Amino acid sequence: MAETVVGAEAGVARAQTSRWAQIKATVGAWSFMSPAIFLVLVFFFIPAILLFVLSMTDLASSNFSDPWTYIGLENYRRLFSDRFFPKILRNTFKYVFLTLGFFNVGLALVLALLTSHINRRASFLFRLLWLLPRITPSVVYIVMWRRFVQTPPYGIINWFLSMFGVERQPYWLTEMPWLFVVLVNGFVGASFGMIIFTSAIEAIPKDLFTAAKVDGASSWQIIRDITLPLLRWPLLFVTTYQTLSLLVSFEYILLLTQGGPGLYTTEVWALTAYKRALKTYFGSHAWGYGAAWGFILVIIGVVMSVVYLRVFRFDELVQEPKIDVL
Amino acid sequence: MKVELENLTKRWGDVFGADSIDLEITDGELVAFLGPSGCGKTTTLLMVAGIYKPTEGVIRFDERVVNHVAPKDRNVGMVFQSYALYPHMTVFRNISYPLKLKKVPQEEMQRRTQQVADMMGIGHLMDRKPAQLSGGQQQRVALGRALVKEPDLLLFDEPLSNLDARLRLSMRGEIKRLQLELGITSIYVTHDQVEAMTMADRIAVMREGKLLAYGSPEELYDRPRTLFIGGFVGNPPMNFVDVEVVQENGAYHARRGGFDVVVPPERGGQAAGHGTVIFGIRPEDVAIADDGVPGEIYVVEPLGRDDLIDVRMDEEARVHVLADPALGLRIGDNVKLRFNTDEAQFFDPETEQSLLWA
Amino acid sequence: MTTPSTEPGRENGTRRSLRRAVPYLLLTLSVLPIVIGYAWVIIATFSYRTKGLLPIDAEGNIGGFTLQNWTFVSDAEIWRVALNTFGIAIGMVIGVGFVSSLAGYALSRMNFAGRKGFLGLTLVLHAFRPEMLLIAIFHVLLFIGGIPLIGKFFGFNTVGGVALVMVSLELPLGVWLMKGFFDNIPWDMERSALIDGASRFRVWWEIILPQIKPGLAALAIFNFITGWNAFLIPFTFTLGSKVSNLPVYLNRFSEDTSMVSWNQVAAVGLFSLLPVMIFFIFTQEMLLEIYSGGAKGGA
Repeated sequence: MAETVVGAEAGVARAQTSRWAQIKATVGAWSFMSPAIFLVLVFFFIPAILLFVLSMTDLASSNFSDPWTYIGLENYRRLFSDRFFPKILRNTFKYVFLTLGFFNVGLALVLALLTSHINRRASFLFRLLWLLPRITPSVVYIVMWRRFVQTPPYGIINWFLSMFGVERQPYWLTEMPWLFVVLVNGFVGASFGMIIFTSAIEAIPKDLFTAAKVDGASSWQIIRDITLPLLRWPLLFVTTYQTLSLLVSFEYILLLTQGGPGLYTTEVWALTAYKRALKTYFGSHAWGYGAAWGFILVIIGVVMSVVYLRVFRFDELVQEPKIDVL
Repeated sequence: MKVELENLTKRWGDVFGADSIDLEITDGELVAFLGPSGCGKTTTLLMVAGIYKPTEGVIRFDERVVNHVAPKDRNVGMVFQSYALYPHMTVFRNISYPLKLKKVPQEEMQRRTQQVADMMGIGHLMDRKPAQLSGGQQQRVALGRALVKEPDLLLFDEPLSNLDARLRLSMRGEIKRLQLELGITSIYVTHDQVEAMTMADRIAVMREGKLLAYGSPEELYDRPRTLFIGGFVGNPPMNFVDVEVVQENGAYHARRGGFDVVVPPERGGQAAGHGTVIFGIRPEDVAIADDGVPGEIYVVEPLGRDDLIDVRMDEEARVHVLADPALGLRIGDNVKLRFNTDEAQFFDPETEQSLLWA
Repeated sequence: MTTPSTEPGRENGTRRSLRRAVPYLLLTLSVLPIVIGYAWVIIATFSYRTKGLLPIDAEGNIGGFTLQNWTFVSDAEIWRVALNTFGIAIGMVIGVGFVSSLAGYALSRMNFAGRKGFLGLTLVLHAFRPEMLLIAIFHVLLFIGGIPLIGKFFGFNTVGGVALVMVSLELPLGVWLMKGFFDNIPWDMERSALIDGASRFRVWWEIILPQIKPGLAALAIFNFITGWNAFLIPFTFTLGSKVSNLPVYLNRFSEDTSMVSWNQVAAVGLFSLLPVMIFFIFTQEMLLEIYSGGAKGGA
């Protein structure tokens, strides 16, 4: 290299080797990263871009052989003027906020508080039981719930009702579809918050509780004045994180009601995207149109993730490597 | 091997880990880097090892610039404070690991590992895992691992600070003897000045990334160039009192209020005429006597062999004195102090430089 | 409400023990649906029919213990499906473990251009749920399917393709968790190995990975369960039983059958639950750990 020859001065030569070493280090590190980068590119980046591109085309199974036709924002226009759009939007809000409020945050908090006030071994058992729905295959879990709501003589709820002499024993899923949509999702979702809140409660210095007890505070006062204020961040984290989770999840609804009973009774945004593009009753897959529904969720996801990064300062968790060489 | 650091600097953003360090270590010498935690001594050591890259400056081994030589090609051995033994490997595999990486033939590896282990007195523990060893034994394994590759330079990063006091004392001697016998150039990082004083040929005192002083233990102890060195080297630390030095009838007096001591002219002469200066005197150079500067005992700390007495001479001037416990001194007693001013130090309060050893 | 602890009377004692019982009562009530659901699966599996939770025989009397629901285990198809399920699960364990421990190591321990960016990206990727991207991934898999050789193993409607998608979608969590495990390994151990003469790859493999075995094991269990239970992705990206897994098979089975064979559905359900339950029993503590650990990392 010409520079090295000129660089009889040690300084120049040093700068050269330094840059070279830096390149070498970077190449080495990226070779560790390459499998992850490859998979992220193929299954996150390309799909995200593809989803956007698809949402601007009229690609559907009816014209799959044709080259994709660019139709601009037509799919988005169609989406917002869909006859069922208001209903789906309402359903989505209903689904997210009811499940979140009653289970993923509400019950999760209650469970964490209750289990932290009882014997350790017992609390461990209860937490494990609550973890069961999360690790049960969704299909098996739904089979259980379907069995709960059946008409007599199979249905478990109705079986209990008949013990108390209740006459009316309907098929509960069509009777109160929303109750069960929320229950089914809530029983899976509550454990996440429960575990986070539990570990947050356990991280509170015991001295604080002791001090409060010495000061004569009751259990409820301790919870209100000490525990809850200290759970502010975990609460905010679980709320925002689970909002996004619920917003894009539809697996349990798909398995339980498929968006029914009837027309769009329990159909939510993510399920609409999925069904339009991949599972329609009419055998025609409107990929372009479904992609438009899906891409809006991606945008919401990106915006929320940036909020996480800012609000929760995850970047500050990142420590600097304490080794320079490769 | 000779080691030379020239303008060595490590910076993370605006934070200086080490700030233009210049020093030279001659072949076979043991140099201690001494300073409080966070002073940059370990950072400097890691740059010498090749773990950190200098932001600026040059590291030379003999005449060769090694800035961009990988750690494995520097042929250094290092002993860490935490020992950094590999918990999943036996003692044998721990010690022989550097040889295995060098692809030394099996037989030679066996022989050399055994030899080093025997030298360290752990030859019978070869099949144990580190968790089954005592702290002292782990320390020996770590030393063995550093020595087995016959390094040109040994680096110690506070190797004794995790040991209990008694073991520390014996390991101190052992390391020193080993280093002398093998004649390997060594850098020894410590915050314990007794360790530095007893082991090192030369001591580099560091603070906030800067090299403050570099010299033999005697030099630093007897001729401190700055207020910081004076206070830092020596235990219990040097006493400081603000005084004014005046010449009177041919003798030099250091004075404040009721405090008045005569200082030898070769020292007093340098300090006179500077207004208020800082007078430094080591506790062992102050004695409880029948006459001298009056004071009241403020605190008595029994150290065993001596009592460390904190004497208040006036509102702002206090000195620590080493006294014989047999004297039975109590808090509140009035005593008189005699100062051995042959060892007195004087510092400029502004620049904190010594007025004697500029 | 407050009972001052300075006056321990007998009445107070009873009231206090009553109050102590309240959390237990509430918690027991809360887990009832879960317990009942599981109870039904187990009861139904071994009975002719069930009425509520009661096993009944053909005449409608209590009883009717039978093993006939388990005849499906002699069917070759279920074993092929089970093998697919196992393949996806193991693929997840190995794939996520390997890829994320490599990337997690680099992110935790190496200084390189782009490190910060990729870390931020890993966090942003948490917000990309698999559900959102299915439509586009479908087209990616179709494309991969068109590539000669590779397409046969990783394209649309292949076990390999499903596993690859699942591995990728689990990476943000895996990488973040692994990075957390690596962060806890003392730097001195790694520095020591580098000075001893090891390359970075060797340090990773010989020195650091052995230190995080418990973390790796926890991640492996988590991924095995996730892979074993996978429904949506295999359901979307496979056709027919040749490549379907147990949840997909069970879903089709439960949609096809009339009411009477619900007990067989339960049996297949229990069959697919078994490995998960076994893992669950032996590794509960680890699981609780990883769920909370993953959460701390933003899962």
